[in-house]
Amino acid sequence: TNSPSSNQPPLYLLQPFVRNHLVKGNFLTIVSLPKYVDLDEWLALNVYELFTYLNHFYDVFTSFCRVDTCPIMLAGSNFDYKWLDNNRKPLSLPAPQYIEYVLAWIENRLQDQNVFPTKAGLPFPTNFHAIVRSIYKQMFRVFAHIYYAHYGEILHLSLEAHWNSFFAHFIAFAKEFHLLDPRDTFPLKDLISVLEEQGNI
Amino acid sequence: MINTMENNGYAQFERNPSLLPGTTLEKTQKTKKYIEHYYKVAVEHAVERNQRRIELERKLTTERGSDERKNRQLRALGERESQFLRFRRTRLSLEDFATIKVIGKGAFGEVRLVQKRDTGKIYAMKSLLKTEMFKRDQLSHVKAERDLLVESDSPWVVSLYFSFQDSLYLYLIMEFLPGGDLMTMLINYDTFSEDVTRFYMAECVLAIADVHRMGYIHRDIKPDNILIDRDGHIKLSDFGLSTGFYKQDQSASYMKPPKSGNTLKRGQMVDSIWLTMSSKDKMATWKMNRRVMAYSTVGTPDYIAPEIFLQHGYGQDCDWWSLGTIMFECLIGWPPFCSENSHETYRKIINWRETLNFPNDIHLSAEALDLMNCLMTDSEHRLGRGGAIEIMQHPYFSGIDWDHLRESPAPFIPSLRSITDTHYFPVDDLCRVPDQPVATPEANVDPRTLEQTNMAFLGYTYKKFNYLTMKGAL
Ligand SMILES: Nc1ncnc2c1ncn2[C@@H]1O[C@H](COP(=O)(O)OP(=O)(O)OP(=O)(O)O)[C@@H](O)[C@H]1O
Repeated sequence: TNSPSSNQPPLYLLQPFVRNHLVKGNFLTIVSLPKYVDLDEWLALNVYELFTYLNHFYDVFTSFCRVDTCPIMLAGSNFDYKWLDNNRKPLSLPAPQYIEYVLAWIENRLQDQNVFPTKAGLPFPTNFHAIVRSIYKQMFRVFAHIYYAHYGEILHLSLEAHWNSFFAHFIAFAKEFHLLDPRDTFPLKDLISVLEEQGNI
Repeated sequence: MINTMENNGYAQFERNPSLLPGTTLEKTQKTKKYIEHYYKVAVEHAVERNQRRIELERKLTTERGSDERKNRQLRALGERESQFLRFRRTRLSLEDFATIKVIGKGAFGEVRLVQKRDTGKIYAMKSLLKTEMFKRDQLSHVKAERDLLVESDSPWVVSLYFSFQDSLYLYLIMEFLPGGDLMTMLINYDTFSEDVTRFYMAECVLAIADVHRMGYIHRDIKPDNILIDRDGHIKLSDFGLSTGFYKQDQSASYMKPPKSGNTLKRGQMVDSIWLTMSSKDKMATWKMNRRVMAYSTVGTPDYIAPEIFLQHGYGQDCDWWSLGTIMFECLIGWPPFCSENSHETYRKIINWRETLNFPNDIHLSAEALDLMNCLMTDSEHRLGRGGAIEIMQHPYFSGIDWDHLRESPAPFIPSLRSITDTHYFPVDDLCRVPDQPVATPEANVDPRTLEQTNMAFLGYTYKKFNYLTMKGAL
């Protein structure tokens, strides 16, 4: 297994991998709200695109993120996520199942004209920002699990430059619009610090 | 899977992709391409959006007017930008369009008059079968077509508003030109007077010059690709074969001379019979077979310049040759090298010195005759080689107001009963084409090929800011 032992920093924090990025420069340039542009439309488009490309990545991960390899949605050796069922009871799910629930749940919102309107003239709901934050929180968990449990596979596939940039973009956007709490980002806080030091975000 | 630790935060890792299944490796390649494309486009969008803003801000500082009016304009730009962001989230599909009529047919699919269901707007939709294009390596051509249609703000080129795809087809949503095409007009009118011909030729000169200015060679200008807008002015369509200057040679192979087996029967037009046929009969025979040729996948070589077949290289002036052949057809009723089959046509074009003849029972002015001879000549001596201005200054065009041509009244203005009137299109000939693009037998390829094909189309789904918001296309 490639889970790090407790006294070694995880691979994703180490050189040269942590420095490998597809996109050079600071993400602020494509993240900040363009002048005169509507904030809700900007949030909506970016969440839509980040979700779309997270899905593309997940398509790669399905062959090694399986019920047998990941019976728990771990994001740290002692840290796992629970899914809240319809009665808000926490359920422990295998990671692939958890992730599929997350993706389906987000997809449903993106498809909902009352939440993410695409038709001309339809307004965004008043609680749109809260919805975006909850989507963001769930998407983060997918990143957290993949970094924790599957970085070895990502390296075998030489996918880390793409994945790192995508994550940096995701975080840069969250920081700009306050979409994640420190509480949410705790499992990857060290990586986020390195990305800040490196000037990616 | 060893990571030998740890030297100042450096780790070593022996990458071994063979530990993972082949399908995962393929998906990885695909995902990488998607991501690369995502960031490339994201940066492009940011740059273009900035430019639009800076341009407007600069314009407003040099303009007089109240601050309030200026702020209104800036807000309006913001609204258009926001509208565009929303549109980029919209996944267009075939279901968003209702077919009104099939109006045209080309090598890789059909052209339909469609209505966008939510807005009611009318467009022409060209569908291109992806597997066929991929198989015949036409991708670079379609890309050129898309690039040109998208880039151009030229009034002489049909606008592309957006494109989308499903697993089988690529769809181009364009402005609908209700006047039909010059081929159909020629079929209906037989010939044009010199004055009418002069108008269409003059417009073609400006249109071709514009295409050249943008760095493209059309190479396939023919009456089918000269469309008529609602005011009777022309626009060029179908850049399927046009290509940017820099890559003109890599795509030259498609125009190898047709093999004899690969020819198209065109009725009775054998040379020996021609001698005894009156011009009228000859024209009737040509017209009778014209539409069949237009629909064939081989295409008609009638308008193509000889140097393209000879493959020693060619330049923009090949389009001026095509113009000469179209002018011949407008005045005389058939194109100069038409023959029983495309192989024979090809032979005649190569031997144009012997085969280019003007029938003596049709009166032509000396200027018209001279212009045609100056266009249908070898590339070195062809008029237009030194720029469109050479052609514009030819005596045949004396009296043309080049600066206001497009604003002047056209000789034939379509009379339209509604915005979806299709009576200028051969809709009866096309009534057997299904309303929706369907899976053809050729499309039944194995999923792997389809996947490969679809990867090749990555980035073809396009939404362009200008056309969508500035021109009110949404
Ligand atoms: N924007 C448009 N508006 C109205 N009619 C159109 C439009 N585009 C194409 N057509 C009609 O459809 C016909 C076929 O279109 P086009 O020539 O673009 O097809 P094609 O697939 O490129 O054919 P080919 O490659 O064989 O020349 C045209 O001759 C014209 O009658």
